Amino acid sequence: MNHDGHVKNPRTAYTHLLWWFLFAQGGVIAAILVPIHVLVQGILGPLGIVRVVDRHYDTWIRIVGNPIVKLYLLVLIAVPFFHFAHRLRYLLVDLGVPAARSVPAQVIFYGGAVVITAVTIWVLLTTVPISFG
Amino acid sequence: MKALGGAEAADSTHPPPRVYKPEMPRGWWLRQRHYFLYIIREFTALPMALWLLWLLYEIQRASNGPKGYYPPSSPAFIVFSIIVLAFALYHTYTFLSLAGVIIHIKGVPSRLIVLSQFAAWLVASAVIAAVLIGFAR
Repeated sequence: MNHDGHVKNPRTAYTHLLWWFLFAQGGVIAAILVPIHVLVQGILGPLGIVRVVDRHYDTWIRIVGNPIVKLYLLVLIAVPFFHFAHRLRYLLVDLGVPAARSVPAQVIFYGGAVVITAVTIWVLLTTVPISFG
Repeated sequence: MKALGGAEAADSTHPPPRVYKPEMPRGWWLRQRHYFLYIIREFTALPMALWLLWLLYEIQRASNGPKGYYPPSSPAFIVFSIIVLAFALYHTYTFLSLAGVIIHIKGVPSRLIVLSQFAAWLVASAVIAAVLIGFAR
């Protein structure tokens, strides 16, 4: 839009849509899925209050080998980082680091989320072979 | 807030436009409870990010084989998880409460929408807990 208020090139802001969509979805996934994983795998399991699937090698590789679980873990781990990247970038702005607004900062933060997505895919594909067992 | 007043705008000498630069004093977010809670809400991203990276590392460690895999049990890890859980729950509370502002459905009160979000959270949590515990031995 120029200063007269006219739209010069009326086209859908697809990149804007994509990043905003990932930000929102990352927020939802972090809100709905993360607390129970932290509670069960991070607190109840290590304290020995309940038996948890990641306490033994054989049960852990069996569940991580499941392709549906792999897909779930990709969504659980990677998508929230697109939310975190945005929040932490603006947290820096709010705390007095205006450089966090710059294009290099955007590349670092959102690029970081892309890198974590790639690493997650790589770990999920290379760690335990896919099996339906 | 605006730097250029009406009287100055009428000045014929056209001084260079003054740009409004918002300046936040250091520690502005400690001055009011609402500011503080806002910063905490934004900060929740960092502990959650660290915990998810740990989960990725835990998955990767499965490649060490049965002899090389040790589940986490150090007190430091449990304390870390307790701190992360507190931040994660605050994110859940603030984010799901927002749904009532974002989602508008004709004839459905926003309180019901928020309630449905929290219900979805509880159901998802129950299913995940059932899988994490049910497939253990």
